[in-house]
Amino acid sequence: MTGSIALLGQPNSGKSTIYNNLTGARQHVGNWAGKTVEKNEGSYIYDGKKFSVTDLPGSYGLSGNSDEEIITTDYIKSGKSELTVVLVDASQLERSMFMLAEFARLDKPALLVLNMIDVAKGLGKEIDTKTLEKKLGIPVLPFNATDTKDYDRLKKLIAEELKNPHKLAVAAPEIHADVKSDSKAKFEWVSSIIDGVTGTKASVYKMSRFDRLMTRPILGKLICIGVVLLAFFVAMIIMIPFMSIGEMIPKTLHDPVEKLLTGWNVHSWIVSVFSTMLPNVLYFVISMASFVFGVNVVFGFLEETGFLARAAYQFDGLLSKLGLQGKAICPMLMGFGCTIGGACGTRVMDNWGQRMLAMSIVWAIPCASIWSIIPVISGMFFAWWQTMLVCIGILLYVVVTMIVVSKLFSRKLAPKETRSGMIMELPPYHKAHWRHIFKEAFFKAWDIFKRALGTVTLVSVLFYVLSFSSDGNVDHSLLYRVGSFIEPVTKFFGMGWQTFMAFVSGAFAKEAVLGTLNAVFMGNKTLMEATFYAKTSATDTALLGGAMTSVISPAEALAFMFATTFNIPCLMALSTTYKESHSLKWTVRVALFYFCNALVLSGIVYHIAELFM
Amino acid sequence: MKLTESKADMQGRILSVSGDDHFMNRITSIGITEGTAFQTVKNDRKMPVLIYLRETLISLNRADAERIEVETA
Repeated sequence: MTGSIALLGQPNSGKSTIYNNLTGARQHVGNWAGKTVEKNEGSYIYDGKKFSVTDLPGSYGLSGNSDEEIITTDYIKSGKSELTVVLVDASQLERSMFMLAEFARLDKPALLVLNMIDVAKGLGKEIDTKTLEKKLGIPVLPFNATDTKDYDRLKKLIAEELKNPHKLAVAAPEIHADVKSDSKAKFEWVSSIIDGVTGTKASVYKMSRFDRLMTRPILGKLICIGVVLLAFFVAMIIMIPFMSIGEMIPKTLHDPVEKLLTGWNVHSWIVSVFSTMLPNVLYFVISMASFVFGVNVVFGFLEETGFLARAAYQFDGLLSKLGLQGKAICPMLMGFGCTIGGACGTRVMDNWGQRMLAMSIVWAIPCASIWSIIPVISGMFFAWWQTMLVCIGILLYVVVTMIVVSKLFSRKLAPKETRSGMIMELPPYHKAHWRHIFKEAFFKAWDIFKRALGTVTLVSVLFYVLSFSSDGNVDHSLLYRVGSFIEPVTKFFGMGWQTFMAFVSGAFAKEAVLGTLNAVFMGNKTLMEATFYAKTSATDTALLGGAMTSVISPAEALAFMFATTFNIPCLMALSTTYKESHSLKWTVRVALFYFCNALVLSGIVYHIAELFM
Repeated sequence: MKLTESKADMQGRILSVSGDDHFMNRITSIGITEGTAFQTVKNDRKMPVLIYLRETLISLNRADAERIEVETA
């Protein structure tokens, strides 16, 4: 026998924590039919029976016409789940019971979970669950998401309710045509329910000392930036062990696999697929998953403690100019470390449009890899102070790109009428539940790992075919033929076939840029090895610098640096954006924009620089 | 007065909220309805307004806060 339940709750009601703890690894992420809203389904076994769980999209109510609200309402009405578990925040009972008032109109079997009962008790709020149960006619379960015993209680209650379901015994709030009186009726309904159940006294709110610091206009912003930078640092530390394991894969597999396959007289083309490409694909995907893991741990912590909400408060004014909510500040700062991290970090955004817009803006932020290769290339052509100017120029253009991206995409992704920016609660500071944070981060990382493996392999094979040459000489590859064929065009953008090739490889991995330059200018490695081995083999920059400066002009070098910086960040960022947005259309759209933008920018920089250099 | 004109620590009551249906849905579902008692917690220039209402600390964009009329309780 099986049963199916759905979880319903407002943002910050602890819904995703409960969902993750109920279902563990038995999760499936997809899309709601025809919508870009993420659909989370999972299951658990209790008492030998399987129960499927649908995590309904979070929203504050059900009466609006956002995708999230329509999906939720339709799903509950359809009766696909036999029981709806409604979650409310016990520490903010009056406000969060609004969701139950909305649900009451749908007239379906339910049970009520009073989550964060521990927080409510800490604040001195007592809730008489027995009376509440009697008034509502459905079971009410006080719940503490950190207490494993509470999950057993919940599972037991769900099993009982599925056998003998209850609907709300009270009449639903009256329906009014205009939103104002309708909401009023719902809150009056809530008041009548909680009257005599909880003794909330009107009290004067006093900000905590930390909050007083956090909400200061300038100091608060500095604290936020500091904390996010620290968070990024911690995320890096978390991922280092996984990365080192990943890094060992191509290093240890390359030689033995090559030897083995060559010994079997396998053709060298196939050998390099197994000895170079596949181990590196595995390494790429492992690094990607470990980024996702590290970032999710850190963000999980910042979100759960309530810090993210404060950061959103601080940066809302600034970001609303880009069509984004204040919450986008964290992924954006994360982007300076790693675009993949930034793209995953957009998970904190409220709706899909905002997420997609935030991801496309995060792409404009040069990641740590770019900051490590630009000075190297710049140093070959320019003096140190000119390199500084190049970096400043890049930073200025970051702002320009962000504004252009926002102008181009925000009308579709975040239309004015849906900009619900800053009507947001600042939840009280909570203690972080480490076990849950790590668990959740692990599931997300595992999910990305599984799904990215295919994408990355496919694109790598494509690149392999393009860069393939029978004798290992770059000049015989398809990429060279195409590159030299279109060189008259790329020349216009300030790039010869060599730099254009390095530019293209930069869209795969920024670290590959130096390796590719090395391959095309020095000819001492195949393009394939250069691209995939970039991270594991050293490049002699002095030699390379000599070779490059004799072939390309400083104006070309400058154009190339700008083009590389603002190109598609990397294959992994592209793949993460697709996995996180579930929209191939928008991922391609954004990628095309960045590719074209980089080319045009390169052309502009080249032609202007030529006048002066 | 408008919510944006209220001073920090003021105890007040929401008089009226105006806007399109989307805005009304958002603002009322978080608990800001006519007649609700609230407290202005922080109201700095160019920063969102912080109010305490229905046991919740709420941050409101200034443009949105302009559409909310309040009175001292």
